[in-house]
Amino acid sequence: MTGSPVAQQDVALVDLLDRLLGGGVVIAGDITLSVAGVDLVYVGLRALVTSVATAEEKQLPR
Amino acid sequence: MIELLAITDDATPPEPPLVAVRSGGLSALCAPAEDAAVTADTLWRREAMLEELMEDRDLLPVRFGTRVADEAAAARAVAERRTELEAGLERVRGAVELSLRVHAPEPADAPPPEASSGSAYMHAKATRTQAAARLHEPLAGLARASVVRPAPELLRAAYLIEREAIEPFVARVRELQREHPALSLLCTGPWPPYSFAEDPS
Repeated sequence: MTGSPVAQQDVALVDLLDRLLGGGVVIAGDITLSVAGVDLVYVGLRALVTSVATAEEKQLPR
Repeated sequence: MIELLAITDDATPPEPPLVAVRSGGLSALCAPAEDAAVTADTLWRREAMLEELMEDRDLLPVRFGTRVADEAAAARAVAERRTELEAGLERVRGAVELSLRVHAPEPADAPPPEASSGSAYMHAKATRTQAAARLHEPLAGLARASVVRPAPELLRAAYLIEREAIEPFVARVRELQREHPALSLLCTGPWPPYSFAEDPS
């Protein structure tokens, strides 16, 4: 995924965040990352994805 | 503190600054923990590291942000879940994850939800479920495993695909897009097998 052009990476960020937040194997340790921080990134990039997707898909992700 | 990125049973050493912490036949691939703010760039850099590791070995991505005090703690954490980790590696061996999101246009003349009757709502919901199944089922048939996630889109799914089956899978996605021109199919990957690292069943 990381080799894609910038606009595609913006769209794919939703897929990456989906995986980072809900995927991966659970190992004992501290999860030091605040969920609030990720939500902020997610919200900010959703707006970006929306603008990219509008041109391509005519249908906004909600 | 060190951050755990992935678990593997391949003995190939990773490139510095990554280190492999051995625990029995398994290795935890770890990086020095950073305290920088999380941005899209830092997430993509981490993703790029995992994808590079994935080129040479089977691996299970570790839940994002997992940190331990030192290498001894990493080895203990791996030993605690050895059985599940070994089973997980067998589940994903030789395979990658592909993602699919499908957006459907809202019918322009649809009445607002509060104006429609309960049965009309149920009918619309059943129609959506069937439409999602018509897309998902032929793709799931090409996958070793699949998961459908609850999502606002018509369909949000992940497929565990053997490396040699990536091309046929993507070709099938293109066919489905041609068969359903009103829908938007967005397929991304190959991803490390995030959605299959824990037993999805």
